[in-house]
Amino acid sequence: MKKKIKTFIRNLVWTYSPATEREASDATARNFLLHWFPAKTTTRSMSFSYSMALGTIIFALFSILTITGLILMFLYVPSVERAYWSIKDLEFVVPYGWFIRDLHRIAAQLMVATVFIHLMRVFLTGAYKNSEKITGSYRPLNWWIGLALLLITMMLSYTGYLLPWDQLALWAITIGDHIALSAPLVGPAISKVLIGGTIIDQNTLIRWYVAHVFFLPVLIFMLLLWHMWRIRKDGGLAAVEALGIERIKQDKVVAKGKTYSLMGITTGITPTITQYRVRGETVSSSPYVTRRILMIFVMVTAVTMALAFFIKAPLEQPASLMWTPNPAKAPWYFLWLQELVADTTIRIKGLTISGGLVGGIVIPTFLFLFAGLWPLLDKSTDQAIGVWFHKSRRLQNAAFLFICAVIIILIYVGAVMRGPYWHIYMPWQQWIKMPTRF
Amino acid sequence: MPDSTKEGKETQAQISRRRFLSYLGGGFILGGFLLQGFAALRSLFPKVLYEPPTKFKVGAPSDFPEGVRFLPEHRLFIIRNDDRFHCISAICTHLGCTVNLAQYSPPKTYDSTSGKPVSETFEFHCPCHGSKYREDGNIYAGPAPSPLPWYKLYLAPDGQLVVDTNTSVSHDFRLKV
Repeated sequence: MKKKIKTFIRNLVWTYSPATEREASDATARNFLLHWFPAKTTTRSMSFSYSMALGTIIFALFSILTITGLILMFLYVPSVERAYWSIKDLEFVVPYGWFIRDLHRIAAQLMVATVFIHLMRVFLTGAYKNSEKITGSYRPLNWWIGLALLLITMMLSYTGYLLPWDQLALWAITIGDHIALSAPLVGPAISKVLIGGTIIDQNTLIRWYVAHVFFLPVLIFMLLLWHMWRIRKDGGLAAVEALGIERIKQDKVVAKGKTYSLMGITTGITPTITQYRVRGETVSSSPYVTRRILMIFVMVTAVTMALAFFIKAPLEQPASLMWTPNPAKAPWYFLWLQELVADTTIRIKGLTISGGLVGGIVIPTFLFLFAGLWPLLDKSTDQAIGVWFHKSRRLQNAAFLFICAVIIILIYVGAVMRGPYWHIYMPWQQWIKMPTRF
Repeated sequence: MPDSTKEGKETQAQISRRRFLSYLGGGFILGGFLLQGFAALRSLFPKVLYEPPTKFKVGAPSDFPEGVRFLPEHRLFIIRNDDRFHCISAICTHLGCTVNLAQYSPPKTYDSTSGKPVSETFEFHCPCHGSKYREDGNIYAGPAPSPLPWYKLYLAPDGQLVVDTNTSVSHDFRLKV
């Protein structure tokens, strides 16, 4: 009886316990969800100090965003007359509406931050490097997918920023629109399709709403799947490349000619795969990887919920083109761009180039293209693949960290040190009093 | 394949009926998709804008006090100098924020480019990125790339002032009433 109760309780929390390794790998092959994972995962791929589980954290945040976003779609009305008031209702009328909105906002901000940290991790470990020569995997492709994911993440948070239709939203969009307008030749056409006219109004709201709730999420989800699938095609995280190099050096390419069959699809054998991993360096993905992913999901949800309780999403006055808040600031992850557009107007004799073009378009595009080309330009050794701060990549890591530091400093200056009229204020200085308008 | 010899002899001027029809069919399918794509894209560029007019009445000249008056709903300033009027846009030329009016009494004095001291009673300051404009709309500080535009002013038959935001005028424009 006692044993039965014990089994019952156990079955409630974790029904799955494979008796043998064979059983564990069988489960992975048979279960559709578990099929996402390989039967075996190297312990090196699972190392927290290597990957910091950033990808899983991002996916957990994305899941929270999808669920809260779907609920918010029932409660939000994308029209200029009602958008602001439906957010007000969320804050004061809808039961727990404030909580769902705060959760959505916090998860979005954490996602932008985590995606950026993830990019830093991948760069500093040299995980984007091409390892075709060693294992036949092509890692730069996943770096490019990752850059696209970063771009879409930013676009998602920017389109979401407009939806409350308050002062904060309107002026962020006005600035963004004028950055697009400052592009030579194509500027007016881009601006027209972005805001659906010449002034920011209903056309803009419905366009950005549809992009925010449909086009961008679908796009990011497809790229996410591709991103994760690429990791499997590349044979795990880049950390395992070192393992391959070691094995090849020691001439311990074991079990060359091991075959994998496509279970349930074909009979017989499929191409041979060189096997250089030895027993003891791998564990069954189920339950070791699945359990960890579950834990990360629970922890991310807990942290996000806790933050949502304490950090309130702001809602300023209803959007009005008649006056601009002073100072008018972009969300923090765009503040470095706002700093750039404010500081980069170039005047050479009679010729003036607007900061909107230099800081808003040219510099970010250049940075992005450079990041995209870097895997092709990086000529460091294969030993540097998947290793934190490898000595052959010292200079490029330093340059990369310098760019990151500049961006973070610009964000800090924009967030803390800019007061009314975009004047510099030291943290201990008092802002001048601005008249409040109603 | 009995056709292979025939097709092998094809020249550019002469193609088989089968190939011609397959090109035609493929071409129509491709053309159909292109047309649909174009239609989808074109629909996003509005043909008619339900936006406020660019010419509008702002009131009788006698409604305006001496000096500068801000019209928030139109985002512009009407400046009256005795019997002469002009109109300056309140949209910052940098990134489109609405500039604030900074008034000075006693007047602020600064040295013009020619070195002569000039006094002014108001300026325009942008809250977004700190661009600063003189009372004639010329930029003297901050990132804005060009001066604030001046708009054409004229009198409607009923005696009201009309602003035309589609027409920019030079800095010596004055409407004498």
